[in-house]
Amino acid sequence: MTSPAGADTEVVLPPRPQPRRGVSLRDAGPPIALAVIFLLFALISPGFRTIGNVQNIMDAAAVLAVVTCGITFVLMMGSIDLSAPGVMGAAAIAVSLLVANNRNGNDWGLLGVLVAVLLAAALGCLSGLALVLLKVPSFMTTLGVSAVGLGVATLLFGGVQPNISDEMLRGWAIERFLGLAYLTWIAFGCVLIGWLIQCYSRLGRYAFAIGGAEEVLALSGVKVAPYKVAVFTLAGAFYGLAGVMVTSQLSAGLVQAGKGYDFAAITAAVVGGTLLTGGRGGILHSAVGVLLVTVLTNGLVQVGVSPYWQGGVQGLIVVAAVAAAVIPQRRRNQVTK
Amino acid sequence: MSTPVLATPDVGPTGDTAPVKGGPTLGQRLTSFMPVIALVVLLAALTIADPDFLTQRSLTAAVRTSAPLAVLAAGATLVVLCGGIDLSIAALCSLTTVLFAMWLPDLGGLTTLAAIGVAAAIGAVQGLAHVVLRIPSFIVTLGGMSIFSAVALVISDAGPIRIVDRDATKWLTLYVGGVVPMSFFVAVLVVAAISLVLKLTPLESFVRATGYSESAARLAGTPVDLVKVAAFTVSGACAGLAAIMLVSRNFSGSPTMADNLLLPAVAAIVVGGTAITGGHGSLWRSLVGALVITLLRVGLPIVGVPSAYEQILYGAIIVAAVALTLDRSKVLIIK
Amino acid sequence: MTTHLQSQPDAQASAPVHALEVRGLVKHYPGVKALDGVDLVVHQNEVLGLAGENGAGKSTLLKALVGLVRPDAGEIWVRGEKVRLRSVVEAADHGIGMVFQEQSLVPNLTAAENIVLGSEGAGVRRGLYRWDTMRKLAQEQLDKIGSQIDPLARTDTLTFAERQMVEIAKVLRIEERTSHPPVIILDEPTSVLESAEIETLFTQVRRLREFASVIFVSHRLDEVLDVCDRVLVLRGGQSVGEVSTASAAPAELHRMMIGSTGSEDHYHDTAAERSDQPLQPRLVVKGLSGATFRDVDLDVHAGEIVGIVGVHGSGREDVCRALFGAEPIEAGEVTLDGDKLDLSGTRAACAAGVGYVPAERKIEGMVGPMSVADNMTLTKQKSRCSGPLVMPQKQATLVDKWIERLSIRTPHRGTAIQRLSGGNQQKVVLARWLVAGDIRLLLLDHPTRGLDIGARSEVYRLMRELANSGVATVLLADSLEEAIGMSDRIIVMSDGRATAEVGCPSGAKPTPLDLVKEMV
Repeated sequence: MTSPAGADTEVVLPPRPQPRRGVSLRDAGPPIALAVIFLLFALISPGFRTIGNVQNIMDAAAVLAVVTCGITFVLMMGSIDLSAPGVMGAAAIAVSLLVANNRNGNDWGLLGVLVAVLLAAALGCLSGLALVLLKVPSFMTTLGVSAVGLGVATLLFGGVQPNISDEMLRGWAIERFLGLAYLTWIAFGCVLIGWLIQCYSRLGRYAFAIGGAEEVLALSGVKVAPYKVAVFTLAGAFYGLAGVMVTSQLSAGLVQAGKGYDFAAITAAVVGGTLLTGGRGGILHSAVGVLLVTVLTNGLVQVGVSPYWQGGVQGLIVVAAVAAAVIPQRRRNQVTK
Repeated sequence: MSTPVLATPDVGPTGDTAPVKGGPTLGQRLTSFMPVIALVVLLAALTIADPDFLTQRSLTAAVRTSAPLAVLAAGATLVVLCGGIDLSIAALCSLTTVLFAMWLPDLGGLTTLAAIGVAAAIGAVQGLAHVVLRIPSFIVTLGGMSIFSAVALVISDAGPIRIVDRDATKWLTLYVGGVVPMSFFVAVLVVAAISLVLKLTPLESFVRATGYSESAARLAGTPVDLVKVAAFTVSGACAGLAAIMLVSRNFSGSPTMADNLLLPAVAAIVVGGTAITGGHGSLWRSLVGALVITLLRVGLPIVGVPSAYEQILYGAIIVAAVALTLDRSKVLIIK
Repeated sequence: MTTHLQSQPDAQASAPVHALEVRGLVKHYPGVKALDGVDLVVHQNEVLGLAGENGAGKSTLLKALVGLVRPDAGEIWVRGEKVRLRSVVEAADHGIGMVFQEQSLVPNLTAAENIVLGSEGAGVRRGLYRWDTMRKLAQEQLDKIGSQIDPLARTDTLTFAERQMVEIAKVLRIEERTSHPPVIILDEPTSVLESAEIETLFTQVRRLREFASVIFVSHRLDEVLDVCDRVLVLRGGQSVGEVSTASAAPAELHRMMIGSTGSEDHYHDTAAERSDQPLQPRLVVKGLSGATFRDVDLDVHAGEIVGIVGVHGSGREDVCRALFGAEPIEAGEVTLDGDKLDLSGTRAACAAGVGYVPAERKIEGMVGPMSVADNMTLTKQKSRCSGPLVMPQKQATLVDKWIERLSIRTPHRGTAIQRLSGGNQQKVVLARWLVAGDIRLLLLDHPTRGLDIGARSEVYRLMRELANSGVATVLLADSLEEAIGMSDRIIVMSDGRATAEVGCPSGAKPTPLDLVKEMV
């Protein structure tokens, strides 16, 4: 609850909570970092500062943005979600088998997308149920559900890769509106919806409150469990949509569609200013984080760094970002698991 | 309460002699035998499904397959006993296969030691990051996982590296007494050695105290930070050893070789009955857990279940086993 | 002054129904009787004060009134109707609400959301927030207490006093649940407020009285007498009497809280031989400063027990932890027998012969699932080892010796410590520092918390024995009388500073009142 900004370092006894108004460093930091990194790359790389590359960045950020929308709600509660790869894989295979494809005669179009998203939401719901009913910590339940999702995907995959021929779904990745791919506009839509949920729905506000002080909610007579399940379900739906988007990009359903997205999304959310302990940050923070991660990845490739480093860079960022958030709050006899 | 009485020591006031709590709960009793029961049941079921399964040949093969998994799980068990988790073992193992394959032409016989040493050092760095920066272990190791994969991809150029000189790993393909595969023998040896060191020195007390109640351990002057770093170091070294075992079987190193071992390793730990909340459990349990998981893996096709169900099974097993072994009294709010 | 409450039932038959009545409430915890037949009556539109020492049963009683604790026996009546309260929500349905000591607001929500939390009513339609309605609902509550807080301000941007207003406004929401005037409980509402803020709070309490009944709990007796109409005193889980504030003085109230006997040196054994103290104190603390304490000077001689007393927030717990290296310090010098004491961590302190018994025994003191033997030898591993190896036989002999010496009642040395009773657990925790025989300074943070009388006196005897054998002891006692009874000298701390020192020799003990004067 201590903020690095606004904390007067002069000694006041006993320590009293200071009123903090205005924008804190935590809120302002990520956008500033984004601007700085963007300018930096624009200065050193001519390839980076082209309109085409900016479009590339936006398009490349689309899938990650949708995944991050989902994971942000989970992180806001103070939980964690590692299920994105499995859920996305299941949704990707499901949608590719439901729309027009080379494996069967289905041609469900948008309905197929909807069913895939619902399947993903059901998997998310499973994580939430295991959390509140079995009281298993979320990083374990979601690790398990990720495996279940991958298993479902492998079952549906059946050894032959489903290539999609559905024009609408393929068009999402190819056709552009105002210079950006449809997928990017879908991502914008998701961020907007996520923001509305966060600010104007009880679900979003309670997810926020659960991360802030779960015990107070219980004390106020709020039953927390249904909201937790609902948040995981919502996150699952976002992952499902992201899986569909990957399928659209690849024109094929892959079990591995979501590989690495769990970690990338956690990185984006954390870098954007969402605390792993919950209760801080939000969709807009995460959106900035997504852009930060994507700009960094893109910029590094532009200046000649091997794309294989992508995961490594994310790993370093996430450890650094968490450490930066944790260090001001360190206590000597603190328990860290 | 206002009138204190000077009681003689042998006059017990009422209510002070009765134990506060009863013995282990039914769940605890069950879970303490769970891995062994599961192993026996699995063996019996597989034998019924396929009478040929209970032959020396297939058992030897199964045991040999389980060796890298057992070593991987055993090392990470130490971290879990301290109350943390190590999600980086599989990625670190993959990285080490690449390092081994790359260094073998230059270092020759020393490569094994060098590879394990580097893996241990990497584990120690993660432990230090966890302890010094106070970052939750799963985030440190999740970050580590991502970093190690990236490094492995970059240095191997994303492809497998074949091993020409097979003598360096030949010893792992031998059989002890003509029956027991050397790799499994080494796995048992490692588990026995670590367990023995724990048992014979104060380390076991330190590890359990850290896992059960970190704050109490710290206030009792237990070297909590040191113990945690050591646990991560051993976990890293075990990942290195598992890498050598994988290389000895595949005759190559690859940046993704062990990636699919993370889930089975975590499953082996929790199926063994080691509590994810720390303190309770042992390396032997994880060894049995690794055997159970391996039997499931090789057994599913025998009973006619498509191997795609394997993943689903891991997921279900992890959640169920954690639910059974979790020490709920310790965590009031489950996040 | 002391009206006995037995006459209550007769009076109740004809008198108007009370806003709240409690009869014979009993609550047991393992080893302790927290409530031992408490009776209490709250009239309409009155402010009832609740006074009592730590451990008198105040907080258990309050928790029972809002459904957080289920009593083992006894009845709660609300406006003449017998009720069973199983949750905060049920208590709210009956019009009982509480402002908690540790504020119970969600810090990252707005004040308005906190006020309506859990009973949003028209503020939420089909799961969607209607911020306008929400703000209006909250404003209504804030208006009741005349507060100027912006309902849409984030709670963690408000000052402590403002947050307390939000909390009172939140509790007043229970008016919407019942048609009757509510009963509002304020638990230690002034402990972190400054005097101007306290005055505002009192104005609010008096305002509340016009439409509600209030139970006001505070450890500052002058406040209780100032704002309440009547004060009920609890001691040892029982209601020992009540006074009308019009006629009472703090001294009188305090005498009731601690019992008529005062505190003699009950816990002193023959301490005559300790007169020849060496001139050089064993522990010398100079100008110790940390996050919650400043410029603390302290010295403790070998064989001496020095008590530190102070109200909640005085910083004495942190001083104790700092001396053990468990809390960082900003300045100051500490020497033990003339050598500089390393305060960088707990291990250094242990090695120097400093021992610490934490207040939270179950969380910080012991490792519950581990055996008595392993708990006892956890710190001084050398005492059970030969070289690097653990010698089970050596450990068994040592542990059995101490089990016998401290008469620890345990089935076996291998029994998990969590299965022992509280007193025996505490003795094992104490033994941890004794097994190696190198203890020089013992820091005891509420060593008798949660123990029953018998176990307490055994711990007292042990403390005295240790002191007699030359150990220097710093004691943070559970109650003033415990501090007076055990200590040779008492340091009074308030607001992070050591403000007074009171001699406390056997035979010339101060009264608790003498200390209270210094504390406030």
